[in-house]
Amino acid sequence: MTVSAAASAPTADEATAARDRLAATMERGGALAWGVADADAFDEAPEGFRPGDLLPGARRVVVVGGSPPRAADWASPVHEHLETMGTSDRINSLGLKTAKFIEAEFGYYALFVPPGVRKGNRPFLSVALAAELAGCGSRSLAGPVLHPEYGLLFYSAIITTYPFPVTPPPAEPACPAPACVEMWEAEGATPCTRVCPLGDGGCLDGRIEDGRLVERRYDAARCTSRVYTHWIPGFQKGLELALDQDDPEARKMVLYSSHFTKTLWSMTYAAQSQGQCWECMRVCPVGAEFRQKA
Amino acid sequence: MADARQQRTAAVRDVGASAGALVVGVAAASAFNEFVPEGHRPEDVLPGARSVVVAGNQGPTAGAWRSPDHRVMEITGYDFRENVAVHVMCDYIEREHGHRALQAPSLPTAGHNPPMSMMLAAVLAGLGTRSLAANIILHPRYGLLYYAALVTTLDLAPDHPLEEDVCPSEPCIQMYEKLGTTPCLASCPKDEGGCLDGALDGNGRISYSYYDRERCTSRSMNFGIGSIQKSLVQITTEDDRERRKAMIYSDFFSQSLSSLSYYKESVAQCFECMRVCPVGMHERRLQ
Repeated sequence: MTVSAAASAPTADEATAARDRLAATMERGGALAWGVADADAFDEAPEGFRPGDLLPGARRVVVVGGSPPRAADWASPVHEHLETMGTSDRINSLGLKTAKFIEAEFGYYALFVPPGVRKGNRPFLSVALAAELAGCGSRSLAGPVLHPEYGLLFYSAIITTYPFPVTPPPAEPACPAPACVEMWEAEGATPCTRVCPLGDGGCLDGRIEDGRLVERRYDAARCTSRVYTHWIPGFQKGLELALDQDDPEARKMVLYSSHFTKTLWSMTYAAQSQGQCWECMRVCPVGAEFRQKA
Repeated sequence: MADARQQRTAAVRDVGASAGALVVGVAAASAFNEFVPEGHRPEDVLPGARSVVVAGNQGPTAGAWRSPDHRVMEITGYDFRENVAVHVMCDYIEREHGHRALQAPSLPTAGHNPPMSMMLAAVLAGLGTRSLAANIILHPRYGLLYYAALVTTLDLAPDHPLEEDVCPSEPCIQMYEKLGTTPCLASCPKDEGGCLDGALDGNGRISYSYYDRERCTSRSMNFGIGSIQKSLVQITTEDDRERRKAMIYSDFFSQSLSSLSYYKESVAQCFECMRVCPVGMHERRLQ
């Protein structure tokens, strides 16, 4: 691919045709969902973390979603499988490929939002907010943006100066699902808040009124300490523990332990899962059909 | 016979391009012998080697170059597509042509010298020439590219090194004639704490170049393997537990670990000599 010469601003028809080509490319690359958000719609994000802060003249944020754990991953009775089976890195490759496609085919700037974090462990741009604004799904009581058909997906975002037509938000929020509304009315809980209740040592709580999510409470610190038992936080914890040992043999045991070994695997090229707790998503009815195969 | 050789070379190029390589070049394996010592030649990596195929690709997008947030360029994700393209071409050669093919080893196995130089491979494959800016190989159209290569026993039609130097470009020669420096040298001058120095002769060709690799490495590799090593030395020699804990959970160490992980983040963080380089600049100017 080569970068074509810059052209004049596209007409509405040209922009729509361009979005169709982009969508076809993303779908060929494995996208299950995609959408386009207006770069000016990120008011909710603090200054410094909006699309225009990363790319001057930003007009749109393209979001591509996919690469969830497969039905078989969910079905495995070996819980360590989901702990170590990473699929999310594929969406990052597709995100960068999409950015390059936009620049090469349309001659407009495209910035792949880095999946890593900026200072203070803050992401460069909230990809969850981008996915919501792009109409890929809606926020859930459990936290992740849920796609109405697939439920949990991993997302990647690309900021661009190309004025692709914006995709509308879903007509109805994916969360709470009708089954969850029924459960709430009967029991005052939903599957996700039941499996990890904030008031009982868990991470989630919330309230539903008239079938709509009106309040959500989430203990991010507690969730993080449980979800990220391996990967970088696991490495830091293991290293601290090892160095705190005065006895060389005890230090050696920590460094060669299965936990530390798994941690090293998870953060290197094995592309293993970063998150190890999936219980709120396991019971979520949104996308449950997609997670079930013969 | 010659046609068949040309055809299979074209087929290999097509496979590489389809797999994501922006440019593909071919060098004869024997062409390395003049420039590198024994132990670093294609034949040393693969007995019977006849050809070296080089794939190049861009790193950051033009959008990343344009970002005012320098951290974007520091950790922007790469897909290392040139490596993927090389593996796809290797598979194709072994499967369709029945010849051996392997990815050329480009990471140091001991010391800091790689078993094979990707820079030399790119030059011999006609993809670019060395520049005043840290010896980076500049492609005449795209400027800075990232390269990977394969070594194969398959006989392919080689390209030839470019006849004209890509560096210095015409604007750089003009600047040198007026100011005695070029954009890259001016952005990082050795005598003012920078990494680069050089001179052009009366014909506008590089007559002298200097590159302080150690200084450049310490600045450009702020995260990655080097910063992990540096941090670990400091962490493991810190006796105070609380200070040690602060270092382990610091932003710097967290980001260093992140750069080492599978996010495929950039391993180099200073692009200033390339930011001002006119070669390939038009490719980074979009709408």
